[in-house]
Amino acid sequence: MKGYGKLAFLLLFLTAPAASGAATLTVAELMQMLGSVESENARFVETRHSALLKAPLVLEGTLTYRRPDRVEKHVLSPYDERITVEGGRLTLENRTQNRKKTVSISGAPGLAALIESVRATRAGDLDALQRHFALQLEGSREQWTLTLKPLDAQLARYVSQLALSGSDARIGRITVEEAGGDRSVMEISAGTSSGERAPSGKSFRSLPVPPAPPVVQ
Amino acid sequence: MSPVRGGRAAAVVIWLALVVVCAGWLYRNLSIGADLTVFLPPSTNAAQRILVSQLRDGVAARLILIGLEGENPPALAQASRELARRLKAGSRFGFVNNGDLAGAAKERELLIAYRYLVSPGVTAERFTAAGLAASLKESLALLASPAGPFVRNSLAFDPTGESRQVIEFLAPESGPEIRDGVWFSRDGTRALLVAETVAAGFDIEGQAQAIQAIRDALQATGAKGIRLLLSGPGVFAAEARATIQSEARWLSAVATALVILILLAVYRALGPVFISALPVASGLIMGIAAVSLLFGPVHGITLGFGVTLIGEAVDYPSYALIQAGRGERLADTLARIGPTLRLAVLTTIFGASAMALSSFQGLAQLGVLAIVGVGAAGMATRWVLPAITPPGAAAHKVYALPFDARAVVERFRKGSWLVAALVLAALAIVVWRHDRLWDDDLANLSPLSEAARTLDRALRAELNAPDLRHLVIARGKDRESALEASEAVAAWLRLAVERGWIAGFDVPSNYLPSRKTQESRRAALPDAEMLKRNLDLALRDSLFREGLFAPFLEAVERARSGPLLQIEDLSGSAFALKVNSLLVAADGGYAALAPLRGVTRAEDLAAAARAAGHELLDLKAESNNLVNSYRNESLRLIALGLVCIAVLLAWGLRDLVAAARVLVPVLAAVVLDVAILLLAGHKLSLFNLVALLLVVGIGLNYALFFNRPVPDPEEEQRTLLSLAVCGATTLSAFGCLAFSQTPVLRAIGVTVTLGTILSFVISAALSGKEARPKGTAKQEQN
Repeated sequence: MKGYGKLAFLLLFLTAPAASGAATLTVAELMQMLGSVESENARFVETRHSALLKAPLVLEGTLTYRRPDRVEKHVLSPYDERITVEGGRLTLENRTQNRKKTVSISGAPGLAALIESVRATRAGDLDALQRHFALQLEGSREQWTLTLKPLDAQLARYVSQLALSGSDARIGRITVEEAGGDRSVMEISAGTSSGERAPSGKSFRSLPVPPAPPVVQ
Repeated sequence: MSPVRGGRAAAVVIWLALVVVCAGWLYRNLSIGADLTVFLPPSTNAAQRILVSQLRDGVAARLILIGLEGENPPALAQASRELARRLKAGSRFGFVNNGDLAGAAKERELLIAYRYLVSPGVTAERFTAAGLAASLKESLALLASPAGPFVRNSLAFDPTGESRQVIEFLAPESGPEIRDGVWFSRDGTRALLVAETVAAGFDIEGQAQAIQAIRDALQATGAKGIRLLLSGPGVFAAEARATIQSEARWLSAVATALVILILLAVYRALGPVFISALPVASGLIMGIAAVSLLFGPVHGITLGFGVTLIGEAVDYPSYALIQAGRGERLADTLARIGPTLRLAVLTTIFGASAMALSSFQGLAQLGVLAIVGVGAAGMATRWVLPAITPPGAAAHKVYALPFDARAVVERFRKGSWLVAALVLAALAIVVWRHDRLWDDDLANLSPLSEAARTLDRALRAELNAPDLRHLVIARGKDRESALEASEAVAAWLRLAVERGWIAGFDVPSNYLPSRKTQESRRAALPDAEMLKRNLDLALRDSLFREGLFAPFLEAVERARSGPLLQIEDLSGSAFALKVNSLLVAADGGYAALAPLRGVTRAEDLAAAARAAGHELLDLKAESNNLVNSYRNESLRLIALGLVCIAVLLAWGLRDLVAAARVLVPVLAAVVLDVAILLLAGHKLSLFNLVALLLVVGIGLNYALFFNRPVPDPEEEQRTLLSLAVCGATTLSAFGCLAFSQTPVLRAIGVTVTLGTILSFVISAALSGKEARPKGTAKQEQN
């Protein structure tokens, strides 16, 4: 008995660090990881499945992020449309239709929450995320999935849940499940990211970031 | 009973009967009016009539801006919702808005139902195959945007996005920030609401009740640490009234106490003090009764000014009681000083009679009040006081000033050349400043603190509320043509917004387009068959499923064959209120009003308005014009009154030199008074003018008594004592007002105090050195 107990203890001792390393990625750790990114440029392919459409709509374009609160989604195909969110303002610029307008996202609480799902995750802003969503994290540092369920009734009427997955500080896929059954999946390919923070917490830029286009107010 | 005694008894009976009848009439019929129109010239121009109707019933005058602060945003948002709910449930507010979309369900429903008639985007091109194809592309991009989940369900019945267009058109993005579902200031520290009172803006009582209702409602929400900020014209008016009332109350208490103390010191008994109050009190009752009988409602302003104007009647009993010799019956004293007292009363009545004939009802009311009040007080002093004053009531009084008053007057007389020099200098100042004499800005008279103004500016900016100053007016012979005119206004105002002349505007046709416009939009909609064909063509190159847009086809067909949007359809929504307040009956027709926000180029706007056949109304300038015309009319009437007084004095004193001796000191005092006010940096307002009228009334009394021939030095001492007492009581009463924080009260107090001192001193300095021949004095007495 004694020998078995010793063996069991030894096994436990040996396996514990590895097992806990994989299972105990906490939301806080994930947020810290994500929050270390200063800016990022990436390409995306988004597929929107909708009961309104004969076939899924596929969009391609680029995503840009810059700390602390600027997110830009630039659709290049099948039309040219740039949506920029910075602070509380959303600017929509459609070159195909030659339209441009700026609105305050605070006027539409559901939309604000939906935007925060991506922006706050990208920024590693746990407070902002928890204000709008119930969070559930699975997986490891290398392969994690963060599931968001809307707390906001406005948003819950339209969106049943969101899932963001990725590895380390990179977000690779965003899935939006709508209440009506529509669904969109955005695959984000690795782009350039910069400004990963040094362990000391001091930030620096390892790669030059192209200057952001001026935001139209 | 001797005939004299019988006559006195009759006087008392008639007086008592009149007081009782008047008091009874007032008790049953008195209504205090607050209708500003009685203070306006009858022949105002159309712009001023609109101004007046805006001041009275206009929506801007009924808006109360509300801010809640002092808690975290969720608590403030909660309080905002709860407050809005309670105010809507009550009966004092026609409309409450806190930005909560849940509260605007009725409005959204209306806009969506009538979108094809209300949206400015409805044109024939939009419903061609090409137009629909473009709309479908737009809809697809929208579906794929972050807004996609939210608009998905509306795409099937509204692929051209007309509902969105209408909502964006009516609620431009410049609205206040929304946090936690309700309006907030940009910094997030203040929840914002707008409430429109049912009570009109001029109904200060109604406004005060509405304000109390807001306070009560917030209290009832149980929110503890929340500070309530209120602003708006009604709030200002109610606050101003409260300030004036509370100040007037304690200032008049102090003044009354001082006057009673002075009278007690002179009479050394309570009886004469009480008796002194009777003539002016009965005069006030009869004066108000007369105004009420002749004009119906008595305006609050008439009452306020009127009480000031007949204030000189307080002095009448003093002249009689103090001038009575040792052991002299009051009846005999009054017989002696009767002619002088009569002139004192008549000069005031003549001065006021010019006013009573004014075409401005407010001025006429003031005139009648002064005539009847002063006349009644004078007659009561002359005929009733001797009858009701017990013999020896004033036996303990003081008979002379504690110093040699005659020597003082003598010294004043030596300084008459100095008075002449000062008056000339004062005249020079008045002439030099003649173009800067008047304060043309009404706002300077408002007792608002700078803090209140700052708060109003802040709330107004955060809420994007109209600035209450500029309006564009377009007229039509009926409601329909006024709506068409409103659309014409909107067309050039949109250009003005693009050019940066204004930040924004509101017009009634936004909420209720004219029939013509609605019909042309309806005509732009294709019939069911054509629309189906165009849609099918557009769908060929689209990702959208066939058959998806059946609800759209139905909606267009319904709009094409259904009724036009009528004003009745809007009832119960915020839009009805908007339309009714922006589309008003005026001059036998209708006027569409467009309130402007953030005006930067008023002159360019006025020119553009003229070019378009419309009119830019500057409410502030117009209201100042109104006050100016009121003032000019008052000045004209006062001048006429002075001429009447001069004629009366010449006739009463039978002597031009004597008349000049009485009139010149008063005019000199008025000129000096004005010059001193100007030198002190004040400009004159209507309130100064009314105060100057009182100075004339009081000053004439001084001058009359200073110049009354007296046979012996002892009587001269008593005359001087009575003058000193009257001067001292007036000074204490109006001196108190001079310390008021309220500009209106201060203006009256300072002007009267200065004028009293000046006319007293100048009357003394210019009074006749020798008693006139007995013959003239005898002639007076009859």
